[in-house]
Amino acid sequence: MRMLSQEEEHDDSAEVTWEDQQRINSFSKLNTRLRSYEEQIQELKQEKEALDDISMELELADEDQPVMYRIGEAFVHMPHSRAIKRLERDLAALNAELEKHTASAEQCEKEMKALKVTLYAKFGRAINLDE
Amino acid sequence: MSKVSAEKQQERNPRGIPKAPFIADVAEFLGPDPNPENALKEFQAALAKYRYMDHNLTQRRRGLEDKIPDIKKTLSMVDFLQERREGKNGDHGDDDLEDDLEDEEDAAKPLTTTFELNDTLYAEAQLEDTDTVYLWLGANVMLSYKLPAAVSLLRSKLEAAQNSLSTVIEDLEFLREQITVMEVNTARVYNWDVKRRRELREKEAKEGQTDVKAG
Repeated sequence: MRMLSQEEEHDDSAEVTWEDQQRINSFSKLNTRLRSYEEQIQELKQEKEALDDISMELELADEDQPVMYRIGEAFVHMPHSRAIKRLERDLAALNAELEKHTASAEQCEKEMKALKVTLYAKFGRAINLDE
Repeated sequence: MSKVSAEKQQERNPRGIPKAPFIADVAEFLGPDPNPENALKEFQAALAKYRYMDHNLTQRRRGLEDKIPDIKKTLSMVDFLQERREGKNGDHGDDDLEDDLEDEEDAAKPLTTTFELNDTLYAEAQLEDTDTVYLWLGANVMLSYKLPAAVSLLRSKLEAAQNSLSTVIEDLEFLREQITVMEVNTARVYNWDVKRRRELREKEAKEGQTDVKAG
């Protein structure tokens, strides 16, 4: 926590109203949500990288060879073309989820920015909204 | 404090978590005989309770977040078996010609899988055509289900888990709000007290000076 020197102290002219409290609460909520979105986005990005790697491997692989494709925890032997189709389906689903999370995260950031402007304007150094 | 009885009729959220009181005016809240140390102690106690609930719910959330991918994996495998079986029964749907041929070939051969026998140890298995799967329900209980029943059971389990998860997240956000309100209350009461003490000191210092002058 940061201790303010006496000159830096805000006097009572900036009282915390109920609206201010609600803005502070919203900011805190959005911050937590944003962190969890960012975590999920990281995981999805890793999955996507893995699927992209598979896609390259399948391009180079022999088309007559069966492919071991992971479903759940086990690997299923399937013909090359079937594997490619399944991969496309999985990749599409993953991209859709990634887009959804990215959009939600951006929405959070936008709302947080607006709240920061309002709260810093009223409270200045008496409040800390950054990491 | 006279405010204590009012707190008994506190609002609670749907899961019974009490709402934190918001202090509009510190002086008014503390009343005619202010006892900031007491107030701060009560705030810390309430904060401790909220943080404890937060810890519990966070653990529950992690448990659910682990369970959901497991259910999804099982569901995708059972879905795959179901699709394969439907393909065999001539229910080709929108598959193109090439897929039809593959389905017919597939249906004749048993399903070959490589599965995890143990950590980093895999074995190959041939699955005969079957309409039954066995689902582990936990607590050393495993039941057999026909494929469609298994699919619907897993889907409903997944939905229940996802609903639980969103309730827990909602509760966690509510808790976060109440913790924030309490922390802001604590800061304001503390600052008010610091200011008041300083004002008292300054007043006493001035009175001391005037006494010296008068005396």
